[in-house]
Amino acid sequence: MNRLTCPVAIQGLGCVGGFGCGIDDFCHALVAGSCAPTLSSEQHADGLAYGPAYLAQTDTLTDFVAKRSLRRLDHYARMALLGGCLALEDAGIAGEQREKVGVMVASGYGASTTTFSFLDSVLDDGDHCASPTNFSNSVHNVAAAYLSMQLGMLGPNLTISQFEMSMSSALCNAVCWLQQGRVDTVLVGGVDEHCPVLNYCYQRYFATVDGGQTSAKIEPFVFDRQTAIPGEGAGFLVLSADPDKARYGMIDGVDVGHMRQPTWSADDLLLVGADGHCNCGQWYESIADHHQNHRLASCTPVYGSQPTGQAFDLIAAALMINDQRLYGHTTGHTTMADSDTIDSVTSLKVAADGQYGAVHMVKGI
Amino acid sequence: MTTKEKLKQILVEDLNLEDITPEEIGDDEPLFGEGLGLDSLDAVELVVLVQKHFGVEIKDMEEGRPALQSVTTLANFIDNNRE
Repeated sequence: MNRLTCPVAIQGLGCVGGFGCGIDDFCHALVAGSCAPTLSSEQHADGLAYGPAYLAQTDTLTDFVAKRSLRRLDHYARMALLGGCLALEDAGIAGEQREKVGVMVASGYGASTTTFSFLDSVLDDGDHCASPTNFSNSVHNVAAAYLSMQLGMLGPNLTISQFEMSMSSALCNAVCWLQQGRVDTVLVGGVDEHCPVLNYCYQRYFATVDGGQTSAKIEPFVFDRQTAIPGEGAGFLVLSADPDKARYGMIDGVDVGHMRQPTWSADDLLLVGADGHCNCGQWYESIADHHQNHRLASCTPVYGSQPTGQAFDLIAAALMINDQRLYGHTTGHTTMADSDTIDSVTSLKVAADGQYGAVHMVKGI
Repeated sequence: MTTKEKLKQILVEDLNLEDITPEEIGDDEPLFGEGLGLDSLDAVELVVLVQKHFGVEIKDMEEGRPALQSVTTLANFIDNNRE
């Protein structure tokens, strides 16, 4: 693991997803172990597709931002903005304290609904009638841009898209900003959106793996069967270079590598992003097979399958360290006695090709 | 539906003016600045919407500036240039 010379403090957390809105809703879902997906139906050219998905509601965004200011924001940007607002509120960073706050957003799909809507409008009406607002909302960086503009954060602003590795890569860069002194604080998080095209793709390409049926629930430790259910949402962390601001522990290691040469420690509690995709399952299964004493946990049944799901795992890991409580689904030998403590957690997200992103989180330095 | 009524409906629905109804938009109310509060991106969007819904092209700033003053001026421009 690439250990940081100066660990960074986790000052605040914020999230929205199929589980609800905010840390309290997320905690309740973590304790319950899962939440129920919504069954959405979409009309497609070759028929009606029904698919369950963990969908997010953003109604409470008007508690933070004036309704008129939100008129151009699509669902993707609203999820990001709400996640960011909640994290900044949790960190206690008021509007006038945001001058040296950087914004780093990870996204695997980007604004998928608006992107496909824009492409459809070009096909239907010609490029001369394509909506400029839809175009500007279709670029991946739109969520980060709205975060900076609406919330008055004047630090650097970047969006990283590297599918499942997006969140780890974003975190690597956020840590660099802090260590270089470019910013005092970074709002870093992941956002991904469900859309009709994705709904169709899940039914068309994944549901048939198991006899044409969609799984009723995500089973993170069933590795040979497709149980993924798509999710959407935004998870944000406020990171600070000041160790005194570590309300939820510290991040002291971030790595992106390949499972052929793993660098994470076998001693840690591993919070894995196993989300029911069997093409990634082999890599998680190899951990369970080769390291019998590994303690494994997964929170994917709470937030669903999405490229930047690791953002929610980082929040869950921070809560585990803060609450000294084991959340999520665990393998048989992963238990917690009254005398046990959670001093560190490693969040591990693995892609189908074996690339992984690992983040090591500790209680304190 | 008259051109003005259609324009007001487009303004509310396609520019997502959620806090106002089409009936509340005055015929001669300025579209930009102190009036409806639209901005430059809305102006570009309006040019596209007029072409899409009415088949009328606003070719340049010379045509656009007087046409985009209010619902009345835009409706007149559309009615005068419709084929």
